[in-house]
Amino acid sequence: MTPAVEFANVSRHFGPVKAVDGVDLTIVEGSFFAMLGPSGSGKTTCLRLISGFEKPTTGAIRIFGEDVSATPPHLRNVNTVFQDYALFPHMNVRDNVAYGLMVKGMGRARRHARAEEMLALVKLEGYGDRKPAQLSGGQRQRVALARALVNEPRVLLLDEPLGALDLKLREAMQDELKALQHKLGLTFVFVTHDQHEALSMADHLAVFNEGRIAQIGTPQDIYDRPATRFVADFVGSSNVLPPELTRALGGPAQWASLRPEATRLAQTGPVSGTVIALRYLGAGTRVVIRAGETEIAALVPAGQPVPPEGTTTAIAFDRNALHLMGTD
Amino acid sequence: MLSDRPSLLLKITAIGGLLFLHLPILFIFLYAFTTEERTYQFPPPGLTLKWFAVAWNRADIWPPLYLSLKVAAIATVLAMILGTLAAAAMSRARFFGRDQLSLLIILPIALPGVITGMSLRSAFGIMDIPFSTWTIVLGHATFCIVIVYNNAVARMRRLSGGIMEASADLGANAFQTFRHVLLPNLGSALLAGGMLAFALSFDEVIVTTFTAGQQSTLPIWMLNELVRPRQRPVTNVVAIVVFAATFLPILIAYYLTRGGSETAGMGK
Repeated sequence: MTPAVEFANVSRHFGPVKAVDGVDLTIVEGSFFAMLGPSGSGKTTCLRLISGFEKPTTGAIRIFGEDVSATPPHLRNVNTVFQDYALFPHMNVRDNVAYGLMVKGMGRARRHARAEEMLALVKLEGYGDRKPAQLSGGQRQRVALARALVNEPRVLLLDEPLGALDLKLREAMQDELKALQHKLGLTFVFVTHDQHEALSMADHLAVFNEGRIAQIGTPQDIYDRPATRFVADFVGSSNVLPPELTRALGGPAQWASLRPEATRLAQTGPVSGTVIALRYLGAGTRVVIRAGETEIAALVPAGQPVPPEGTTTAIAFDRNALHLMGTD
Repeated sequence: MLSDRPSLLLKITAIGGLLFLHLPILFIFLYAFTTEERTYQFPPPGLTLKWFAVAWNRADIWPPLYLSLKVAAIATVLAMILGTLAAAAMSRARFFGRDQLSLLIILPIALPGVITGMSLRSAFGIMDIPFSTWTIVLGHATFCIVIVYNNAVARMRRLSGGIMEASADLGANAFQTFRHVLLPNLGSALLAGGMLAFALSFDEVIVTTFTAGQQSTLPIWMLNELVRPRQRPVTNVVAIVVFAATFLPILIAYYLTRGGSETAGMGK
């Protein structure tokens, strides 16, 4: 099967700045793909390379097998939900949604009917006559979504689509986006710096660092088996263990990661430390232990005894929960 | 202690300042109705409407009025085209010397009119260009462009840069984006800029004196008229016309650009 989006050794340099540097990437059709990374890591530039607002310095970008490296944005069959929504302020909601059809020359009655269908899809029936300024943030987001979907793109790009929404709305929109993607069977590519969002929504994700992909895989791969210290640090609340500590715990002298859920408290063990913080999380309590220079978090399930702050405790874990990583 | 209500002293000072600025304008209006034609005597010995009829019938008023309208109209159209293009280029492109170029575009409005006038006059002299309507238009266009440019640049800055990209993303080519997205959003700013440019050109004196040669625009005609002690109130009648011709566009421009952080005017 032809992948929806393919990067072959793509770089985008701005003068001396290597915004994207030698990225290889394959996005399978129908997947919900997240590009995760801190700001300046190259994820947004990658998205703009797909939409066509950036041209690769070197390398090739293929959308459904077709090399689009030199194709301008308006001729690509991908559409974008922009970070600030970028709705046209002078048009009402219906005309905003119908814009893509209007520039293609579709008649007024037909495109308005299509726009209403799209508005129904994003649960905004009856909002057609309003101006964007009269809508709430969540509603604008839906209009942006409807507007991008009206052209029936084969790939939908979402640039930090939920960044401007408050927490509750964001969680509701996450579920809705996921449901929408499922219903339409489209390829969604979305950029985010929020690891929880990426892990919970995507079926595949790429973690970006300094213009390169640090790791690519399913959320479970990335969470359970971070390839590098950067990924472990950025993605999770995983404990990152320096080589000495790994060895003390019975492993080789390498960097390793250990998930708090897999970490238990014990009476005795090779590594012990002082409890320095407790955080009640409902389903359990997060206990932070300082062992030498390293802080290790353990999740104590509800109902089990929690040591008070300042006491000394040892840690224990399943051997196969210790995950060894590369050093960069 | 800070209070929401201004103190009495502040109120009086503010009102006094406003009166000082605007009372003379009322006197201009008042003297258009006086019965005394040689001196501006206060209070006017009597009030009459006859000067409006006299002004209407004076043949020497019409050519300067036509010239002023013509110059203002041409300079405004020129400024709207060039100012918009310059603003579009400056807000889209990033190139070496961009800031310096932007300063050069704005410079004519900061430059004293005498300097602009003198340099244009000597340039026309060197190039053997005879004085004509077009030399006046050129002189006025120098600052009219700035007005339109400033308004357009301010509006473009306020526009979310994303909407042009959104338009392209949705399949619009450059022309469609200009027609359906840029122009509707820029429209009122351009109109406001054009109105201000028209108003500024219509009452411009300094640059005009250097670039007009023997022609007189309406403001120059008024200046000449004031030194002649004959039918003085006619000048005041014309002043009312000038006031209306410049104040209305400025008022409209103000309402068009209201609610934004943009500078509609900038004193010239």
